[in-house]
Amino acid sequence: MIGTFVEAVPSLPPRRAEAAARPRAVVRLARAAPPYLYLAPGLVLLVVWTYWPLAQTFFLSFHSWNLVPSTPMTQVGTDNYERLLTTSALGSSTVRTFQVIAGLLPFTLLIPLGVGLLTRGRGTVHRGLVFAPMLVAPVAGATVWMFLLDPDAGLVNTVLGTDVNWLNGTGTALWAIVLITGWHLAGFAVLVVAAGLAGIDPEYTAAARVDGATSSQITRWITLPLLSPTLWFLVLMTVLLGAQWTFPLIDTLTQGGPAGSSTTVYYLLWEYGFRSNDAGLAAAAGVLFFAGFMLVAVPLARLADRAAVREEGP
Amino acid sequence: MRRIAGHVVLGALGLACVLPIYWLYAASLRRPGDVHDQSPLPWPLSLANYTDAFAKTDITGMLLNTTVIAAASAVGQLLIALFASYAMAAWRFRGHRVAHLLFVGTWLVPFQVTMLPNYTLLARLGLLETLAGVVVPTLCSALGVLLLREHLLNFPKELLEAARMDGRSSWTILWTVVVPVLRPVLAALGILLFINAWNEYFWPALVLQRSNAVIQLGIRSFMGTEGNDWGPLMATAGLASLPVLLLYLVLQRQIVNAFVRSGLK
Repeated sequence: MIGTFVEAVPSLPPRRAEAAARPRAVVRLARAAPPYLYLAPGLVLLVVWTYWPLAQTFFLSFHSWNLVPSTPMTQVGTDNYERLLTTSALGSSTVRTFQVIAGLLPFTLLIPLGVGLLTRGRGTVHRGLVFAPMLVAPVAGATVWMFLLDPDAGLVNTVLGTDVNWLNGTGTALWAIVLITGWHLAGFAVLVVAAGLAGIDPEYTAAARVDGATSSQITRWITLPLLSPTLWFLVLMTVLLGAQWTFPLIDTLTQGGPAGSSTTVYYLLWEYGFRSNDAGLAAAAGVLFFAGFMLVAVPLARLADRAAVREEGP
Repeated sequence: MRRIAGHVVLGALGLACVLPIYWLYAASLRRPGDVHDQSPLPWPLSLANYTDAFAKTDITGMLLNTTVIAAASAVGQLLIALFASYAMAAWRFRGHRVAHLLFVGTWLVPFQVTMLPNYTLLARLGLLETLAGVVVPTLCSALGVLLLREHLLNFPKELLEAARMDGRSSWTILWTVVVPVLRPVLAALGILLFINAWNEYFWPALVLQRSNAVIQLGIRSFMGTEGNDWGPLMATAGLASLPVLLLYLVLQRQIVNAFVRSGLK
């Protein structure tokens, strides 16, 4: 017998002849081992590629190093942090990151919510269309949008009758990135809202209608509260996914420019690490960013998680 | 009235979502001199941009490499997630909660925070500029683990119990009882992981900095500071998205459900 499924491991070992013959400790170890063995590959990978590197980043942030294995690291105390806090790059890129997230919310929250409420229970035909951009690789998306936003021959300028150099203007580059990311994610968010709305028991709205509630009252007091787990999830997704999607777009379209106007924190870290080969500075920025990121993401994750539990019920 | 408004809104949204994709393929199929034409229908059609792209870069090789990477990642992630979720769903053991938190926690650690240590480790293992280097760091998919765990927690316990009574080992039970029942779930998750790996940009960009071995990086070879080589660029971008979009045409329902269910990437 290898272990007990589902039920807690019983405190008494089975009284079998061969079990009694072997030393008790070995038997207990053999009985406890299987779950750990199955978990081992995944957990080892997590530790090697995520958690230990996190600790190393912290360590690295107090050193100066150019990423070349043959040159030694030198300890520099809190120099890297002082350098970071005296330049404005980290602060302004953080502000830009928040601008990106705020700019994405209309695409990932407001439009999906509006569309969802307006088209409740219909539009399965359109699902296939709106979801497609989520499957287009970010670099391919970047390419086609670069083509559409081309200052001389792009469709956007033709339609709007303008001649704006969207991706090369300090005032527009970041918003162009937001628009492209929004295009990738909006359809997905629409379907998530639709799934959330479909999960609401129609009995609630029917009961409210019997009691004489108007449509807008039902939306405000019944539908939206019941939908709130989905909405929190979308906010969390915007924060976590938005950054992942903007990175390849920034790297292919603007490289953080012009004049740093589209450098988000994610891109700044990449630049510090691999453009200026300043590992210590990049690590210090990473540590500060990670701390700030946790302050935003953990409460959001808790909200989404708690709401989801409530939704599933007992 | 509301009904019509709904259809108009959905129609407009669908159009806005699909138009750029259509434009990508339309432009790639125009004659090289007409790339910037803005007529809605590309006419006369031409494959010259595609032949140009194939002549200038090793598109076949890049597509092959990307397929290998995406398939290896998907299979590896699926196996590792299956084992881990099996452990968490079928046993109660000390450290259960910690393990769960460790998997969830990876979502809170952005790549950019850990990339320098990852890079130096890849260098020490000699995995830089190799395809294996792109696959190995991503092999543990927290999404896969948590999704399968949820399914396994709803797994009929009687089946496991009965198999155990038969005296089968946990390994046999996994392959003869659990996997057959989970097959549709595993297939959907596998497709999702394949698509994510196919479209992945960050790890290839980190590991393959000096070569353009995968298609997502290959697209960039037609972008230049002096201007873009638009014809082959659009053709390459079209080819880079084509496998996933074709997969989507065939398995639309399953793919949408897999993504919406999984939510987080």
